[in-house]
Amino acid sequence: MDRRDFLRQVAKWTAGALLAAPVFRITPELLAAEQPVAKVAIGTGTDTAALVKRVLAPFGGMKAFVKPGDRVVVKPNIGWDRRPEQAADTNPDVVKAVVELVLLAGAKEVLVFDNTCNEERRCYHQSGIKPALDGMKKVRCSYIDKRKFVPVDISKGKSIHKWLFYRDALEADCYINVPVAKHHSLAGLTIGLKNIMGVIGGHRGRIHHNIGQNLADLNTVIRPAVTIVDATRILLRNGPQGGRLQDVKVLNTVLASPDIVAADAVATTLFGLKPADIPATRAAAEMGLGEMNLNRIKKIRV
Amino acid sequence: MKYRPTWRTARKLSQFLFLVLFLVLFRKTDYAGSDTLPYAVNIFFRWDPLVAATVMLSARKFILLLFPSLFIILLTIVFGRVFCGWICPVGTLLDWLDKGIRPKPRPSIRFRKIKYLLLVLLLVSSLFGLQLIGFLDPFSLLVRGGTFAVDPIFNLIASGFFNTVYTHAPALAEHVTEPVYTVLKNGILPFRQSFYFLSGLSLLILAAIGAMEKLGKRFWCRNLCPLGAMLALFSRWSFFRRIPSSSCKNCPQCAPNCRMNAFDPDSGKLHHEECNMCMDCVDDCLNQSPRFTFTRQRGGPETDLSRRAFVASALAGIALPLAVKVNAASRVPRPLLLRPPGVKNETDFLSRCVRCGECMKVCIENALQPCFFESGYEGMFSPRLVPRLGYCEFNCTLCGQVCPTGAIPNLSLPEKQKAVIGIAVFDINRCLPYANGVPCMVCEEHCPTSPKAIRFRNKTVMNREGNQVPVKQPYIKEGLCIGCGICENKCPLPGASAVRVITASGGGDTESGYGGE
Repeated sequence: MDRRDFLRQVAKWTAGALLAAPVFRITPELLAAEQPVAKVAIGTGTDTAALVKRVLAPFGGMKAFVKPGDRVVVKPNIGWDRRPEQAADTNPDVVKAVVELVLLAGAKEVLVFDNTCNEERRCYHQSGIKPALDGMKKVRCSYIDKRKFVPVDISKGKSIHKWLFYRDALEADCYINVPVAKHHSLAGLTIGLKNIMGVIGGHRGRIHHNIGQNLADLNTVIRPAVTIVDATRILLRNGPQGGRLQDVKVLNTVLASPDIVAADAVATTLFGLKPADIPATRAAAEMGLGEMNLNRIKKIRV
Repeated sequence: MKYRPTWRTARKLSQFLFLVLFLVLFRKTDYAGSDTLPYAVNIFFRWDPLVAATVMLSARKFILLLFPSLFIILLTIVFGRVFCGWICPVGTLLDWLDKGIRPKPRPSIRFRKIKYLLLVLLLVSSLFGLQLIGFLDPFSLLVRGGTFAVDPIFNLIASGFFNTVYTHAPALAEHVTEPVYTVLKNGILPFRQSFYFLSGLSLLILAAIGAMEKLGKRFWCRNLCPLGAMLALFSRWSFFRRIPSSSCKNCPQCAPNCRMNAFDPDSGKLHHEECNMCMDCVDDCLNQSPRFTFTRQRGGPETDLSRRAFVASALAGIALPLAVKVNAASRVPRPLLLRPPGVKNETDFLSRCVRCGECMKVCIENALQPCFFESGYEGMFSPRLVPRLGYCEFNCTLCGQVCPTGAIPNLSLPEKQKAVIGIAVFDINRCLPYANGVPCMVCEEHCPTSPKAIRFRNKTVMNREGNQVPVKQPYIKEGLCIGCGICENKCPLPGASAVRVITASGGGDTESGYGGE
């Protein structure tokens, strides 16, 4: 092998390695596998840990979603450098309660992360989520590793057809969505469906140009086993990052549903809005990702 | 052979420990989960008496932050230039370099006076309001070179290696390298890859200081370092001296091997103010040992600074500030020169800023960058915010915390959140809801003030297809915008942002009438 031949071989092998990016496809069968009747459990209380446990009970508790030995992703909203009482990020007590239940259900490992908007270290610490999870065994609350974003073909997508997704989220045995419910000037509200923004990479600003449909498209790729909406404190104005305590309303409420659209629909009513007011909810329901008609959603008060 | 503790061992240990201290503080100049930094990471600047002297002269204020420098002055008055020989990390690095570089023996002593000339120039120009220490202070040069070039390059090499293995090597290799990478990332490597303007220039300056070693041991320290010159002057009073105060005739040991070349080549007399107390001559003496001891003996050869040279240098120190005053650059508005939060007056800022690079090192968004000629040649290496690279994080006050001279005021969080850096303005020819009728609002989403400084109006505009569509068009609410630059940073348009931060005051010399406060 002479030098020229060697270089040619190296180039070919490199090109091969670069092009062979993994592809994740969600088959239509998986998408069709919906709940026959959408159920949303909703509860109020000041003992957050007990409350989280209570809203999961109607579905058979956390063990209905997490199998022993699972690698579980718990995906809160840690997008902003805000304190828990400012209600811009998921309440750390809710996150901790969810993680504890996941561990109790026998998970092998729990990953907690978010692709933040502000500087990640500040968000993780200021939100109280990293301090709440530090020292827990089998729990990794680590920062986003940019190398782990992989391109995914969104075969069901109407508006976007390919995007970078976080490998840990794609490969999880069980994905648990733990959004906070809050105001958002463009998306109307940000709840469960918009929380997907935290597991995608790339140029996220572009999502905003057709935000409802884009969020619905992204949600065809990762389907949470259960969505647990933190409405302990909700941000009514100045979202998505808020900052003023007068914009925050304390509700001490948590909702849960295996149906992400139904969870968002019911959470929307907490703001005095209708599910159809939120573009993402509408688009997701149209795509068959879940139920948004409040008449067809069984609300279980716990 | 029986182990005998030597001065050399003690000195090397001290040099090593202070270098480690320097490097640890360098690494600790970063956010670590707490809003306030628990260490005085800027201590090397705060105990630097030359920084203290020039800053207090040019700012015409006593600055409490700089009082640790009294300790170094006191140390020098008692023990001579031990700082240069036992503490200074630049000196330590140069000593280490000697092993590979093999400096020229018995170098010329005629450049020795340059350091005094530079010292006089710096002090006089400071007195007349021009702060030039950043160009010559050894710690400024070292921290800047480290921050702008060495550290990012170091991280680039490490991440390049580990990422290549992670991406291309078989998974087996990854299981070995990734744990190593994690350990490195948790202690030794910086948190993320950072980027700086003037990285090449800063590295070049460090490299030049290193390369000068070839001309003789401690070339920088003997001939150029103005801090060395200042300590040399203080050491003329010191009590701790070498006895005898000259080298022995015909002995090839101490005089030729002296790293500071402190013995007069003709008379063999020791220039005490050149000696950095390394004590190698004590350890290496072939017959009767010289000692370093407390003595009332004074004298020795004259300092290298002649009256004529002193006057010339002082005149230059007067001329330079005047030349800067009449530079047209100071009369032109500088709308893009965004200073760190809390900086109010450009002239005051430049009179205090010692270009140490600490603020740019600590800035968690890599937003503070060194100026080149953006603030005149006298402002080179001073920090400015470049929002398209990084924005000022709303809840962060680190730059004010690390500034050793208070050029960037150490503001409380509520004060900092009201400190106006500039004001954002929209380019409605490019902004999507204006120009294309496309909904966007990324800027509004990120705007951190509450209530938000970016608002929107509901408008109906024609989009590219010629249809009338409703959109929300953003605008700036003056009086709320603090110019943090997150809008400019996050604007999803490729290339230039459709929203830009410009200085609220016009950015010119405030006395010049251009948009003064």
